[in-house]
Amino acid sequence: MDPMTFSIIRHRLFRIVDEAVITLKHVSGSAITNEGHDLMVSLYRADGTLLMGGVGFLHHLTSAAEACKSIIRRFEGDIHEGDIFLLNDPYTAALHTSDIYLVSPIHHEGRLVAWSACFVHVYDIGAVNPGGFAPQAPDIYTEGFSSPGIRLVAGGEMRQDVLDTILNMVRSPEMVTLDLRSMIACNNVARDRMQSLMTKYGAKEVDGACAELVNQSEDLFRARLRELPDGQWQSRQYLDVNGETARVNLTMTKKDDRLIFDFSGSDPQSPYSINCTKWASLGGLFAPLFPLLCYDITWNEGVLRPVEMIAPEGSIVNCTRPAPVSVATVGAIQSVNNAACSTIGKMLGASEKYRNQSTAVWHANHFAIFKFGRNQKGGDSIGILTETFAGAGGARSFADGVEIGGEIPNPISRMANVETVEAAFPVRYLFRRRAPDSGGPGEYRGGTGGELALVPHKAPDGGINYVISGKGSRHPMSEGLAGGYPGAPNSYVWVKAPEDGANTPVTAAGGLDAISGTQERVSWGVYPLMGRDALYVRWNGGGGHGDPIVRDPEAVRSDVAAGLVTLQSAGDIYGVALRDGAVDETETMAKRKSIRSARLQQEASE
Amino acid sequence: MAGTGETSYLVATDVGGTCTDTVIFGTDGVIHIGKALSTPPDFATGVLNSIVSAAEPMGLTLEELLGRTHLFIHGSTVVDNAVLTRDGTPTGLLTTQGFEDTLHVTRGAYGRWSGLTEERIKNPVQTDRAPALAPRDAVVGIPERMDCDGAVVLPLDEAAVEQAVRFLVNEKQVGAIAVSFLWSFLNADHERRVRDIINRVAPGAYVTLSSDIAPNLGEYERTSTAVINAYAGQITNDYLTSLQGLLAEKGYDGATMVMQGYGGLLPAAEAADRAVGMIECGPAAGVIGAKFLGDLMGDPDVIAADMGGTTFKVGVIQDGKLEYAREPMVDRFHYLAPKIEVVSIGAGGGSIISVDPRTKVPHVGPRSAGARPGPICYGQGGEEPTLTDVMLLIGYMDPGQFLNGSITLDREKTERIFKEKIADPLGMSTQEAAIGIYRIASAQITDLIREITVERGLDPRDFVLHSFGGSCGMLAAAFGQELSVRRVIIPYTASVNCAFGLVSADVAHEYSVTQNLPATTSAAQINAIFAPMEERARAQLAAEGIEPDRMRMEWSVDLRYSRQVHEVTTEVAANTPLDDAGAARLVDDFEALYERKYGRGSAYREAGIEMTMFRLTARGLMPRPTLPAEEEGSADASAALIGNREIYVETKGGMAPGDIYDFNRLQPGNSLKGPAVIHTPITTIALPDRMTARMDRWRNIVVEFDAD
Amino acid sequence: MSGQDRISASVAVKEGQAVCAACGHDLGPATKPWKDHAQRREIPLAQAGGQAYDTGHEGVLLRHFYCPGCAALLDTETAMAGDPALDDILAERG
Ligand SMILES: [Zn+2]
Repeated sequence: MDPMTFSIIRHRLFRIVDEAVITLKHVSGSAITNEGHDLMVSLYRADGTLLMGGVGFLHHLTSAAEACKSIIRRFEGDIHEGDIFLLNDPYTAALHTSDIYLVSPIHHEGRLVAWSACFVHVYDIGAVNPGGFAPQAPDIYTEGFSSPGIRLVAGGEMRQDVLDTILNMVRSPEMVTLDLRSMIACNNVARDRMQSLMTKYGAKEVDGACAELVNQSEDLFRARLRELPDGQWQSRQYLDVNGETARVNLTMTKKDDRLIFDFSGSDPQSPYSINCTKWASLGGLFAPLFPLLCYDITWNEGVLRPVEMIAPEGSIVNCTRPAPVSVATVGAIQSVNNAACSTIGKMLGASEKYRNQSTAVWHANHFAIFKFGRNQKGGDSIGILTETFAGAGGARSFADGVEIGGEIPNPISRMANVETVEAAFPVRYLFRRRAPDSGGPGEYRGGTGGELALVPHKAPDGGINYVISGKGSRHPMSEGLAGGYPGAPNSYVWVKAPEDGANTPVTAAGGLDAISGTQERVSWGVYPLMGRDALYVRWNGGGGHGDPIVRDPEAVRSDVAAGLVTLQSAGDIYGVALRDGAVDETETMAKRKSIRSARLQQEASE
Repeated sequence: MAGTGETSYLVATDVGGTCTDTVIFGTDGVIHIGKALSTPPDFATGVLNSIVSAAEPMGLTLEELLGRTHLFIHGSTVVDNAVLTRDGTPTGLLTTQGFEDTLHVTRGAYGRWSGLTEERIKNPVQTDRAPALAPRDAVVGIPERMDCDGAVVLPLDEAAVEQAVRFLVNEKQVGAIAVSFLWSFLNADHERRVRDIINRVAPGAYVTLSSDIAPNLGEYERTSTAVINAYAGQITNDYLTSLQGLLAEKGYDGATMVMQGYGGLLPAAEAADRAVGMIECGPAAGVIGAKFLGDLMGDPDVIAADMGGTTFKVGVIQDGKLEYAREPMVDRFHYLAPKIEVVSIGAGGGSIISVDPRTKVPHVGPRSAGARPGPICYGQGGEEPTLTDVMLLIGYMDPGQFLNGSITLDREKTERIFKEKIADPLGMSTQEAAIGIYRIASAQITDLIREITVERGLDPRDFVLHSFGGSCGMLAAAFGQELSVRRVIIPYTASVNCAFGLVSADVAHEYSVTQNLPATTSAAQINAIFAPMEERARAQLAAEGIEPDRMRMEWSVDLRYSRQVHEVTTEVAANTPLDDAGAARLVDDFEALYERKYGRGSAYREAGIEMTMFRLTARGLMPRPTLPAEEEGSADASAALIGNREIYVETKGGMAPGDIYDFNRLQPGNSLKGPAVIHTPITTIALPDRMTARMDRWRNIVVEFDAD
Repeated sequence: MSGQDRISASVAVKEGQAVCAACGHDLGPATKPWKDHAQRREIPLAQAGGQAYDTGHEGVLLRHFYCPGCAALLDTETAMAGDPALDDILAERG
């Protein structure tokens, strides 16, 4: 087709997704949607295949495609203009019940020509724990309302009985109403804009451009794969929860212009809600694939075609009903993200041309902490600790990772200001800063994660409670590359105030150990933050790249000066000696030499 | 001062990134225009050159002109430039202990992706933050703490402050110190005591308190604002002082008023201490200028589009009101200061055209050839095809008529390179390819403007489009039609619009108080918040010589639905101080505004409504020069018809004959039909088929779409 | 594999053999696990250095793979005892 018209239609499709995202954020107005950018909007072709993915939580792009396809199967012959379908069953297509998909058919002159789909993490879904993440859920039945597909809007009219039924099952139905309204408005904008695009250029022309766009992405991606070396790369993630550890094993094989992700050997599904279904795993591996391999290619069905996934049934990455999955997005899905990021990073690093695109794993471990309770104004407050969106960058082959720099699967995110949290919740921060030694050591260091401590403050009930789905405090998950160390794991500590009646701490410049009291690790369930106690959270840094003992000693010195690396690690891991704040070069050389000789004095590999 | 009976002048000069523009209004009703190149970092030279270039055709020397000038209004890019070139004062930061990383952590990834194009955001591995203006080793945490009510949790450790100041000044050699403590906008006592200590220990250091410069909730943005202000403060001071000195030397003895990013003027002495206020004041002035014209022409809803060599800027005026940016940035740094929203993308006449070698899809930008080497046709060494070259190839520019014939455009070379780099790879003729690129550029601008209006809950069909800048006139009618705007106007002052905006502005001070109150708060309580602000404002304006009858106090309040993040600044429409009916109306107005902005069904009354910020804009009205209006004469434009040549005509699907007009020969009332091209001394206006252009009584070109 | 390929930033390929990128030490055919030819050390994560790695749990290991020639750290793995090494290999191009 005419390359000019193609270029114009392509640009307009991008803008349609952007406009729909704006609408979603506007109408929703919730913090998790607007600050965390925990959302996704994308366009699909008439058969439900991905046409245009937007910048949102990327592990949803393929799942929402499956949602469209399953709606097509379920409602075949009964799909009408102005309908909107709701789907949130993880065993059908969704990631977990609280990420609700609304999918809308788009008609032009009476014919079904495309679909739009979006999701937000709704305020509540009626699971056993508030907020959607349900660490105490033993099965899918206790994870709230779930539907494999239901018509919410028929011919432009809301089906009030259906809506009321859903709202009857959730906490804070008004907020959930608003979430649903925002998604309806978003789909309406996408539909209107698609329709006017077709009116202007013709449905056939637009569909031709869409087909071309998909084929183009496929061609570009296959060409890129052919440029990369053939081979096989492995990674492994350990997911510990409540004392049990599950493995996600991945072997990625690249041959010619195909890529196979094989999760064989991963552990059986867990009794805890960290499991994920196969659609979630597929989404999980594409989340890093899009930005790492297809940064300059339109994210659509064409990118999916060269990729195959093998995920053993009944495993943690392809669980079977009724395994609980409500923590999947920060559980097994994130481990799939990480494992795929690691193998893709290795493959890119093996290529002369693409080595600068290679990265160690970023922010590998979300911590979902939902605070809930009465606040200082006497009202109810529920909300996620948005530091989980702050993340940390993995080291690259040419530079350190970005300190507290976000994550790969969600390119646009941010955390709330301390003042915003203190205004809404009856808590006070003792500190919030970069956590020393959290970034994986390497020639290029992983970006540091952060640490914070909270105490109750002016709480009418003496404090609040929180739901924590904090897996992964035993095993580091942000893997390093080429000799780089992993980022340090998360840490969640309940500091119980001493009995002697000391006051709530007002400051703790020395960090966790400066808070008086006994330290108890917490990770899974519902806990109180009451009285004079404190909650300490440290989140993981990114993985490192390359051997730490070849890192520029000046960079290590500056890290120590900035409090990003401790003096102890500078010596033990980097082999750098500092004297009066400056690098002692002779001592450093000696230290590094002795580290090298100690390395070879080990038993040879078996 | 000017003697009686003699013409006296108002001189307005705007320093932009490339050019420094001057507009002079005489009391005789005549407007004079001047232009010179900007001269960074010594901008004052360019200012004088620009004034001279306007004075010369008047037959006046600089001294003669300034001797008869009663007011000088100024806008300058000096602060933006100091930040962009990292040319400010070495700056340190004192902040609350335990939160030393706030500035550098930028609320997580926010500072890593903000300000980047979507293409770059999609490749996170290649993104980094911009290094902060205060290095991390020049940040010192001070033991002190306020809580969410402004109550002291931990008293200020004054000894620690003194030690920290000595460390910053002696060890880190800083010349400026920003102070930003948690919750200082509710209780500034600790910050003020720190300032006293700095003044005692390091009297030469430039100090900015976050509670002075940005008394708002949100420690990251507030800290960043204080740091930017400290960093650029000294430079701004020095610049304004030296400029005023130079003007005085040349005989000027009046006041100097300085444009602010929120579209108001401040006396130079006050502006000098609020460097962040001057950020992007040029584009803000441009929107003010568009608003002035809109008011004059009876159009309250205006989309102001400005396309120069490298950027395309859009401002939106709705119902005669300007929109403030929610998350303003300079370079890649966030700051909090009222600033008129002007959205800018990298698309201009210098945008480079390329064809993706993998897909054979043509792209416009984002790279730009800038002023140097510039487009191929300028013959200054440009070897890559740009949008300007495309305009030449489709007949919209005349090789012999550019900039009054001062440059002869090289059509032969343009065609050769365009064919080789664009047309051949696409397998098209040069003409077809050039037309296609024009269509792409027009469509992309349409998409951008649509997105900007959607973001504000607006419909472009309700708006009039103003076209400014050297490149906009060739596209404005085309994208204006696709957006279905009411009409397109290319103002007479289009080439010096920002300077024109300066003279359309008032003295304005912005005050605000952050306080979280329920919407049910009584009128008396609201009045009690505004009363001290008003008192301060009136004293301030009086000190600037504004008579009480020229003072205007405009109240507004930020409201939101509880548990929602969107705050909407709602004007207090009722008489102030408020009575209870007025307070109730404020809440109603908020709800209407919210639904208009965020869409039907977005309001969530059930959660309750709260007020979060109380804002006062205190205006001192400036005498407004009147634009000379002429009688509209005959519609016959044939006296200005200077030729006919092949131009791109969309309805014909290709090149077709079009009439060529000379702007300078058009008279008010003249009317002409497309397809046509009007050459003005600085730009070209392309008039597509089925449109009519008319010169109005202010010599603006008004383009109307013919009814179907 | 092509002449441009390598196994990672630390393990290069020379004439079909995996070699240490720092010193050129031979690590066997690039189509076979090079770690079999590297020096391997396994330490409890808590002893890996600094304080952040000490999670208070046993059984979490950090594996190091060194070049026998120059002692460069070629790769790391987090592991539990007994889990196999992660193998990265290149394939001959068909
Ligand atoms: Zn070696």
